[in-house]
Amino acid sequence: MMDTQVDDATATRPSNRWETIQPWLSLACRLGLATVLIIAAVTKFPPIVSVEAVEAYDLFPTEVARLIGYTLPLFEIALALLLLLGLATRYAGAVGAILMVVFIAGILSAMARGLAIDCGCFGGGGQVDPEETTYGISIARDVAFGAMGAFVAIWPRSPFALDRVLGLFR
Amino acid sequence: MGSEARKRSREKLRQQREKEKRAAQRKKTLLVVGIAAAVVVLIVGVGYAVLTADRGDEYEGELAGQTLQEDGSVVMAQEGASAPVVEVYADYQCPACRQFELLNGDLLKERAAEGEAIVHYRPVSIFAQQPVPTSSNSLRAGAAARAAADHGVFVEYNDLLFEHQPNSEAEGYTTDELKEWFRQTDAEDAQVSEFDERVDAENEVVTEFTEEFLPALAADANEQIGEETLGTMVLSDLLNWGAQNGYDPSFLEGTYTGELIDATGTAYTRYSGDNMFRGTPSVYINGELLDGNTAGTTRGLSEAIASAGEGEVETEPMGDGGDAD
Repeated sequence: MMDTQVDDATATRPSNRWETIQPWLSLACRLGLATVLIIAAVTKFPPIVSVEAVEAYDLFPTEVARLIGYTLPLFEIALALLLLLGLATRYAGAVGAILMVVFIAGILSAMARGLAIDCGCFGGGGQVDPEETTYGISIARDVAFGAMGAFVAIWPRSPFALDRVLGLFR
Repeated sequence: MGSEARKRSREKLRQQREKEKRAAQRKKTLLVVGIAAAVVVLIVGVGYAVLTADRGDEYEGELAGQTLQEDGSVVMAQEGASAPVVEVYADYQCPACRQFELLNGDLLKERAAEGEAIVHYRPVSIFAQQPVPTSSNSLRAGAAARAAADHGVFVEYNDLLFEHQPNSEAEGYTTDELKEWFRQTDAEDAQVSEFDERVDAENEVVTEFTEEFLPALAADANEQIGEETLGTMVLSDLLNWGAQNGYDPSFLEGTYTGELIDATGTAYTRYSGDNMFRGTPSVYINGELLDGNTAGTTRGLSEAIASAGEGEVETEPMGDGGDAD
């Protein structure tokens, strides 16, 4: 009798523990990624700064670069809001992860073409001295942020989420 | 038999319920994703509308008169206008200057035409010490803009240069391009040939300066006074040091390239304290440096001009008058 009880407890403990921790980890990822996105958006203001950063990648015609420069920070804010509210958590996380993949692709393309630019991830942007490029750090950072998004997308269940009120990921 | 049938129908019912439950869940997910998408569209849409609300239409009207100044800068203003003086320092190879011009160039033209601002364009070359082609692009374009000012079309040419700004790591603002753009300002034949000659002559000066004179001077200075001190010197200081150490800068005399280098050196000493000139673009109203949010938004610049008092242009018009009107 005693023995079986002990056995049961040890058998279920790992999964119980994960089930207790996971929602809080998801919450941490939601808040972490949201904070990063808000800082990224705010430092890109005024739009003249972000348009310049986009143009430095030398990938888009003037008008397209302008549109991206204006709307990207707004999109980052919107995504951050979804993560903070926990609305459509899984999909917000997935979009965040995809966004980071797109950013990494942009940085890799700049590297491949031998451009010497600041990624413009958190304001700044534009040309820098070739010795001052920080592509490695920028990519590593985006990988970490992308991982947070992916975590939320895979395990969207978390406390303080509007999704729960609406009956999703309970 | 009977119990077997009941079991089957129970199973069917259970599957039916499962299916309905899944459908309901799917519907719920779609609804939530729909709400989320609507939130995103709303934020991006409203935000974009707010950010671009103050963007005026492109200014197509007549430009206020342009007057070439002794130091090679250009004042655009209604004749006899009493208004705030807006000084714009820009380097043609500087991407942020291009953004400023694209965003607020038309506002400045409009305010000048309305007599509500005296716009003082002060081209500089903060990149003159950079490696080629950044330095050569910057200097060649600045010298060409100065040549365009001789023919009274500085403002139009300034627009064309920024519109076509090359990547700073690629050879750009070539003499052919510079000549072609001048033709787009509806210049007359006589002006065209004069302009072309000037651009070719300046190009030679720029090439000598950026590829021979300055690298040799910089290397020598680096050895003799050390990298640290050198880092604190602006270009005109370095040229002065060179003049005393066997690097004769006289080939720059009388050239627009030399004038641009001088104008840049003077900019660094013109203001003090918080108003110190540090880089481009720098926008001053009546000698007060504007911060990035003010100069970098149309609303900010527009309000700053509206709330400023009358100012005084500090340079004198070019003596011979030329044909700068």
